[in-house]
This record gives sequence, C-alpha cells and structure tokens, in this order.
Amino acid sequence: MKKIIIISFLVSCSSIIANAQTTNYKVYSLFILNIARFSSWPESESKEFKIAVLGKSKIYEELVKSAEGKSINEAKIIVTQVESANEAMDAHIIFVADGKSSALTELKQATEEKPIMIIAEREGLFKKGAAMSFVILDNSSLRFDLNSKELEKRKIKISKNLRDVANTTI
Amino acid sequence: MKKILLRFLFLSILFSPKLKAQDLDSLLNMSAFTAESDLQKQLNTKSTVASGKALTTRETPGILSVITSDEIQRMGARDIVDVLRTVPGFDIAQDVQFVTGVSFRGNWANEGKVLFLIDGQQINDLLYQGVPLLNNFPIDGIAKIEIIRGPGSAIYGGSAEYAVVNITTKQASDLNGVSAYGTLGVHSSGIGRQNGGVMIAQNGKNFSWDLGAFAGKSFVSDQSNYADPFIGYNPSDLKNSTTANPTHFNLGLRTKGLSFRGMYNGYRTTDPIEFMSNDNYSADLKYEAKINDKLAITPQLVYMNQVPWAWGTTADNSDSLRVRATRWMGNVVLNYNLSRKVNINGGVVYFQDEASDLLNQGYFGDEKYHLYNKAVFAQALIKHRLANVTFGARYETNNRAGDAFVPRLALTKKIENFHFKLLYSQAFRTPGIENQHLAINGKVVPEKSSVGEIEVGYQFTPEMLLSVNAFYIKTENVITYLNTAEGSFYNNYSLSGTSGLELVYSIRQKKWNANVNYSFNQANPNSTVDIYFVPQTKSQFAGLASNKLVIQANYLLTKKLSLNATLISIGKRYAYTGLDSNNNPEATELPSYTLVNTFLNYKDLVKGLTVGLGVYDLLDEKPVIPQAYNGGYAPIPGRSREFVIKLSYQLNFKN
Repeated sequence: MKKIIIISFLVSCSSIIANAQTTNYKVYSLFILNIARFSSWPESESKEFKIAVLGKSKIYEELVKSAEGKSINEAKIIVTQVESANEAMDAHIIFVADGKSSALTELKQATEEKPIMIIAEREGLFKKGAAMSFVILDNSSLRFDLNSKELEKRKIKISKNLRDVANTTI
Repeated sequence: MKKILLRFLFLSILFSPKLKAQDLDSLLNMSAFTAESDLQKQLNTKSTVASGKALTTRETPGILSVITSDEIQRMGARDIVDVLRTVPGFDIAQDVQFVTGVSFRGNWANEGKVLFLIDGQQINDLLYQGVPLLNNFPIDGIAKIEIIRGPGSAIYGGSAEYAVVNITTKQASDLNGVSAYGTLGVHSSGIGRQNGGVMIAQNGKNFSWDLGAFAGKSFVSDQSNYADPFIGYNPSDLKNSTTANPTHFNLGLRTKGLSFRGMYNGYRTTDPIEFMSNDNYSADLKYEAKINDKLAITPQLVYMNQVPWAWGTTADNSDSLRVRATRWMGNVVLNYNLSRKVNINGGVVYFQDEASDLLNQGYFGDEKYHLYNKAVFAQALIKHRLANVTFGARYETNNRAGDAFVPRLALTKKIENFHFKLLYSQAFRTPGIENQHLAINGKVVPEKSSVGEIEVGYQFTPEMLLSVNAFYIKTENVITYLNTAEGSFYNNYSLSGTSGLELVYSIRQKKWNANVNYSFNQANPNSTVDIYFVPQTKSQFAGLASNKLVIQANYLLTKKLSLNATLISIGKRYAYTGLDSNNNPEATELPSYTLVNTFLNYKDLVKGLTVGLGVYDLLDEKPVIPQAYNGGYAPIPGRSREFVIKLSYQLNFKN
C-alpha cells in the first residue's frame, strides 16, 4: 500500500510540473476588447486607452497581440501587466486574473468611484465589487455577469447591446 | 476546421471597421476552451452514470471507463469478455459448471458485486445476482458501455457493491434505421461461434420505437478428451459437449416523457454433464415529469419474471433446480437543480421478490419465498470553484437481511489539464433470494464494503492523457458461496478485500491511437474467507491475477480500413486444479499468459456495410478460466486460436 501511495504521489508531482493550457484566453481577450468598444468612459484628454492585467495570466499575451495597432475611440490601446492596484490607477479597465481574486476588495477601495472598469476572471466576483466577471456555462461557452450599480458609481456607460448579452445583471 | 473558423471569426470581429450588435452575438457562440482534440472530445463527453447532473469523465464522482461502439467495432470484440478484459481491474473466472462471471480488482465479484445494466434494465439475476459472461450480450449492437470502476450502491443499490457496467444499445440511443450484424468464429477444430442480431429503430418527434433481437451459439472450449479431476466424469470433447448460447430481445417505446422497455435475456451453457439456463424477462415503465427547468420527477414501475440458474443433467435433460423468481419494483427519483452549481438527486425504492419451485419438490417448503425491500437515497453535487463536492447516502431495509446504511463522499476537480478525484464510499450487497434461502445459519446479513480511491490525471498534450488511481477495498460480512459434499450454502465471513493501483495512458492522433493500461492488486492478507486463498500465497486470491497489462493500438490504413492490435498480458495465478494423493483439493500455479488479438476492419465496403477479419489468441495460449475459490471445479480449458469474421450493415431512415 505504501508503494502505491508513493507512486501515485510521484506521478501527481510530475503532472504538476508539465505545462499546458486549455482555457482559450484569446476568447477572453476578444470579450474584453468588445466590452471596451461597447462602453464609454467620462471624457478625458488621454490619447491612450489603458488595459491593466492584475496578476499573472496568459490573457496578457493575448491582449497584447490582439490590441496591437488598435484603438478605442481613436485612443491607442495599451496593455500592461501589474502586480498591485497602485500601478493601475490610470487604467480604463483592470482585469483581475484568477490568482489575484483575493485582491479585489483592496482594488475596489483603492479605485472607489474612479472611472475604472474592473473585470474579474473568477466567476461570481461581480457580486463582490467587480463591474463584470466571467462565467463559463455548462455548454462551455463564455459569458459575463454584470454589476450595473458598480458601473453607474464609476460613471461608465455601456451600450444596450452589451447589457443584453450579459448572463446575469444586478 | 473548428480552429480555422474560430480564427476567422476572431479576426473578422477584431478588424471590422464598424462593430455591430451581431458581433456580440457571435461571441456568445465561442467556447471558453481551445478546440477539442479527438481525445478531449471523448473525455469531455458528459455522463450521468455516477451523478444526478451530467459531468465529464474527469469530473464525474467515480472512476469511469467509457467504451464506444466505434472502439468495439475496431477491436472486433466477440463478446463482453473481450471488452471487459481491456478495462483496468476486470477479468473473468469460473463460478461452477463452466459458468463464467466477473472479477474486479482482484476480487471474485460475480454475485451482486458488479451491477450489469442494459438500457437501464438489471441483468443480474434475482436468485444469486450473477451474470454469465462468455459469449453473452449483443456486443455489436452496443452504442456505449459506461463502467464505474468503483462502488455504485449509493445510487444503484444492493447489487453494485464494487462496480457498475452500464450498457446502452444502439437501438435505444442513436439508431434511426435498420441494422444487422453477425459474427463467425472458426477454430482449427471447426466452427466455434455463430452470433447474429438485428435492430430496427425509428425516432419521431412525438413517438419513437425500437426493436432488437440477438442469438448466439458457441462452445465454451474446444479441448478434446477433457475430464474434470474433481468431478470425475468420462473424458469429453468440449467442442461437442459444451455450449454458451445467448438470446436477447429488446423492445422500447417512447413518447414525450413516457417510456417503456421490455427485454428478454436468455442464456444456456453446458459443461460435459450439466446444463444451466437463464430465462429472464423484464419490463419497465417510467415517466419523466419535468415540473420546470430545475425539477424533474421520474416514477418508474419495474417487473421482472425469471427462471434463472435452472440446471440439471444434459444426458436426459432432467431438471435438478427450476425456480421462478419475480420482482415488482416501484421507485420515484427526483432530480433538482437548485442552481447552476447545486444539484440534488434522490428517491425512494420499494421492491418485493417472490420465488416458487417449478418442480414442486418443496424447495422452499410449503410456501413461496419472499423478500421485501425498502430504500431511500439522496445525494447532492456542489460545483465549487475549488472542487466539485458530492455527498450522499442510501438506507435500505430488507425483511430478512436487515438494514444497510452507506454514505458516500467525493471531491473531484479538473484544473486546466490536471484533474484529481478523492472518493470514499461505503457500498453493500443485499442478499439475493438464494443467498438468503441457502444461508447455513438461517440468515445472512448485507455484505458491506468501504472503498477509498484517489485518482490523478494529466493531459500532457491535447492528444495525450495519463491517469493513475489507487484504491483500497475492505469488505465485511462477505457473503460467500460454499460448495460442499453436504450441499450448497451461503455464509457471512468477517473480512475480505484488496488494494491496488490502476494506470491508464491514452494517445489519440488523427491516423492512429493507442491505449495502455496496467492494473495491480494485492489481497488483504487478513481476509477470513479461507476458500478464497491458496496455500502458495496470501497476496492474491485463488484464480485471480495480481497484474494485468493491456496495450491496444489502432491504425487507420486508409479512411475506411483500420488495423487494431490488442495485447493483454495477465500475471501468474494460483488455482485449485485437481486432487492430491489424499484426495484433497490441490492448488497449483498457473503461469502468466499473453493474449494477442488483431483485427482488420473495413467500413463502408458498400454504403453501410462493414466487414471485419481478425485473429483472437494469435499465440494460441489457450488461457484457462479457473474457479475463483476452492469450490470443487477444475479450471475451464481455454479456447484455442479463433479466426473471426464480422459483418454488419446499417441502413438509416431518411429524417
């Protein structure tokens, strides 16, 4: 029995070292860019549209690729990766990677009433202060849940079309 | 193709000068996951066999093997034994009188320990809860076999203590047309197998029906001049004196939520001097009432009428035992999706079994024999971010055996390409009519197992999966069959069980695929069932191997032509093979053996016609099938090398 446990443990360890992904972050990035396009922020003089990824996530690379040479309302899209909320105070969108979900409360407080749209990767965080959080349905399709009050507080408007495709709205 | 479409959609959305609302709609059709490989498609197929809510193979709260009709066709399986031998943990052994049954994870599991279902109907008989396997079941009419390699009692009750084999036929699932199939097996000694069947099914919007028939004829072995040293009959040519002949009829009717299925499962097998036959009918009527999107309530009525395990002598076709056993069963199952993340499944079951002696010899005394059984079960599935949690329990009470309560807890999770399962279940076996009637001390109580399992798996590439599981089975109050000079009896023994490990590696490329699995088990040395042991070892039980390696490879030579090779290597076994000089049963070592099977399959020779040619036991190893206990029978001699020809034809109706 001892032998069996050791072999199982070794196999599981070697499994964890291997590196492969099946989540399609390209689709996540596509959602974020379209959310940006169907939303409007209070007027500012910035000629850049900033998207910050809080925490390490493959979505950063996908967003960089997808946003290259693109603009939102003539503002050039700039994608950055940050490790803390303080580094993203001038962002239009902060995407909270799954591993940084615990930082949401702090992030919400730090950006209170600022026109920053917080989008969380982890399901359900729209109830805890994110403006949107992603959800994967049983048929594997990707959707987002919407916290419209949070957007109102931050004076960010979204189009009716975008609102209509939200999975759940509060 | 899916990848290209996804890229096109992605680029068209991203670069379109003016975004429209339909761009958002297009997003809604995109998957959160990368395009599935063929292997992932298989792994992501959802099953409800182990839970109330459909979950993928890697997330379901049980260790699951799924065998599809395509795999059965490509390997050219001759019967259910050929399929089970490729599944980790499974093998076959002899019960008595050349009747073969299932073993699982190193345990003899024929009676009430592994539940067999065909299209939802229980195949285990009502007297002993056994299932004869050799040349049984319409293997070419099967759409899918889902096997829970672990206890299923919490959901399935008292015949699913170690595992569940859930068979779905093509006629009851996706067939909308006519299908006919046949198998011919030829040995150097002559024709050894002739099986054939036909199915017809029509799926309509409001009404669907299906009808199928299957019959087979085979010998058990083709060894000549054989005599069992325990029994001492005259030497016999087994190709003439043994049979394994199945018959199966299956009718299904469905209209909206209401469905009916009626089935006949007949089986007749003979050793050189005795026959055994099953004449088992079953029917069920159920209605799935979808109260709303979240709640479904399914009441079901089941009737079984069987003459199982009738046996007698072949010379004069006289009966020694002929008992009719019937069951009326009613159950109501509730399935409630409390939310997208929480599912509750539960129900109540009542059945009554009745047995009567058809020979009027007072086998049950002056009256009929009755068992009354009530059960209630419930389980919840919570899909949490950290893990899927399944917990539940079943309570059952039987008028003769008493009570059984079995809880179940499972944690499963797939995190990207990694998955794990932590499972703990208690499971039980309710004594069948004969288990109770032949109890040596007047009564046997339910057998109970505690089973712990852990599985970890990783998908290294989209085409490659490795998973390993370890298990520990502790069985108490073991209901054991005793074949003595004074007669046949059952008794509870205090302890048995095994522990072990199973490894599965799958790779699926466009042109070829391969599956490798290895199973290891060791007997609980403290087991008190003395007839399961042999003098040579305490680490494995009689008749059963500790090690099994299976390598299966399939190569697509052309779009239509595939070549399949299967290697099954079974480690050494010990079994009671004869009598010593003092006329006591003597156990000997049976050497390890390797079965090599090859099969060439040509699909759509003309539209709908598939032809297959193969060789089973290419090395002519003739592996014997020993008894899985010290029970007074020598091993059944193995079949010799078999050349197999298979033909199947399917004509689909126009929709």
